[in-house]
Amino acid sequence: MSPSTTDTPRNLLRAIFTDLHFWIPLTVLLGGLVLLDKLR
Amino acid sequence: MLATRLRSLQALGIFCGFAAGAWLGGAEAPIKLVNPDISPITVSLIMVFGVFLARWSVPALIRGTSHVHSDVSQAPHLIVWAVLAGCMWAVANTLTIYAIRNVGLSIAFPLWNTNSLLGIFWGFLLFNELHYAGWKRWLGVLGGAACMFSGAALLAIASANQAAPGKAAGGILAALGAGILWGTMYIPYRKAYLTGMNPLSFITFFTVGELATMTVLAIAYRGATPLWHELIGAKSVMFWLMLGGFVWVLGDLFQQYATKYVGISRGIPLSNTNQLWGLLWGIFVFHELRGGSHTIYVQVAGGSLLMALGALSIALSSATAREHSSWQDAADREGNRYGIEHEYVRAGMEGRAYGAASTRRTTLDWLLILVTTVMFAILAFIAKLPHMDIVLRWAAALTVAMLALLATCGIALWRTTRFR
Repeated sequence: MSPSTTDTPRNLLRAIFTDLHFWIPLTVLLGGLVLLDKLR
Repeated sequence: MLATRLRSLQALGIFCGFAAGAWLGGAEAPIKLVNPDISPITVSLIMVFGVFLARWSVPALIRGTSHVHSDVSQAPHLIVWAVLAGCMWAVANTLTIYAIRNVGLSIAFPLWNTNSLLGIFWGFLLFNELHYAGWKRWLGVLGGAACMFSGAALLAIASANQAAPGKAAGGILAALGAGILWGTMYIPYRKAYLTGMNPLSFITFFTVGELATMTVLAIAYRGATPLWHELIGAKSVMFWLMLGGFVWVLGDLFQQYATKYVGISRGIPLSNTNQLWGLLWGIFVFHELRGGSHTIYVQVAGGSLLMALGALSIALSSATAREHSSWQDAADREGNRYGIEHEYVRAGMEGRAYGAASTRRTTLDWLLILVTTVMFAILAFIAKLPHMDIVLRWAAALTVAMLALLATCGIALWRTTRFR
C-alpha cells in the first residue's frame, strides 16, 4: 500500500480500487445480494 | 494525545456503545407491530425511508449540515466508502426481516450479533486494533465477546420455540448473512473515522447507498406497480416502520461514535447489548416467552447475565496509550494513501476542531427538520395501533429508559467533543 496523491478523480479512484480494504466489503455485499435472491 | 484526553475519549466511546445497544434494540420493536402479510422487501424499503429522513434531519438539528462540505473537501474518497457501507446495511436489514419472520426475534438477534466476532477480526487485521494491548486486554475483549456469544446462544436455545415450521434454515441463513454483512460494514466505518471524518458527515452519504439499494431491490423484486399498491396499502403501518428506522438511526449514531473512539473490536460488542434490550421488549411488551417453563426462564436469565458480564469485560478493556499509538499508525497509513492532511486526521482522532467550519444552522437545515417533523406527524395521524396483546406500561418504561440514555450520552458527547 504505497502512498499516492489523490488530487484528481482518476488518482482518487485508483487509490480506492487498489485498496484491498475496498474489495472485502464489496465481495461480502455481492454475497449478501445472492443470498437475498435465494431467500425471496 | 494527552493521557487524560485519551481516557475521557475511551470512556465516552464505551458509554456510546451502551447507548447504541439500547436504541438499536428498541428499533426492532415497531417491526413487531406490522402485519406479516407485507413483503419483507417493502417493510425494509419503508424503514429505509424513515432512516433517510432521520439521517438528514438529525445531523441538521445537532450541528447543521455545513460541516459536511468541509469534511468532504478534506476526504472526498470517503463518499465511496460511505455509499458502499449504506448498500451493505440495506441488504443486511432486509435479511434481518426474513430472519425475524422465519425464526423470531429471539433467535435472529444472537445469530446476527456474531458480527462482533467478525468486527474484532477485521479491527485486528486491518486497523491495528488490540496491537500491543497486553494479554489482560486481549482476554477482556476476546473473553467478553465469547461470553456474549455464549449468552446469545443460550437465549436462542431458550426461545427456539419461536421458529416457524419449515422455515428455520432460511431464517438462520438470513440472520447469519446479516451478521457477516454488518460485521464487514464496519471496515468502511473504521476507515472513515481513522481519517478524521465526523460521523454526522459519514451518515449523510451512507444513506444515499441505503436508499438507492433498497429502491432498486424493491422495484426489481416486487415490480414498480405492485410495489406502489403495497406501499399505499401499508399506509396505516408506515409510521411504525419509519419510526423503527428513525430509532435505529439514533442507535447507529451512538454506534458510530463508539466505533470512532474505541474502535470496532470494542464498539461492536458493546452495541450488541441491543439483544438484551430486544429481549426486554420481547418479554415485557410482546409476551414472547409467555407460558414458558422454569428451564426457559433460567436459560434466559443465564444468557442475559453472560451477555452483561461480557459487555462489562469489554468495557473494562479500553485501549492503552501504546495500543492507541498503533491506531495512529493505521491512521497515518490511510492519510498517506488518500492524501489527507495530517492535522485533519489527528484532530479527528482527538475529537477536536479542525479549521473554521461553520456550525450555524442554515435555512436548508431548518427545512430538513420541518419536512421530517411534518411527515412523521401526518403518518402518526393516519397510523393504527394493531390489535396485539402489548403492555403499554412496559413500553412506556423502556422508552423513558432509552430517552434517559439519549440525553445523558448526548450531553457527554457535546461536552467532550461537540459531536465531532
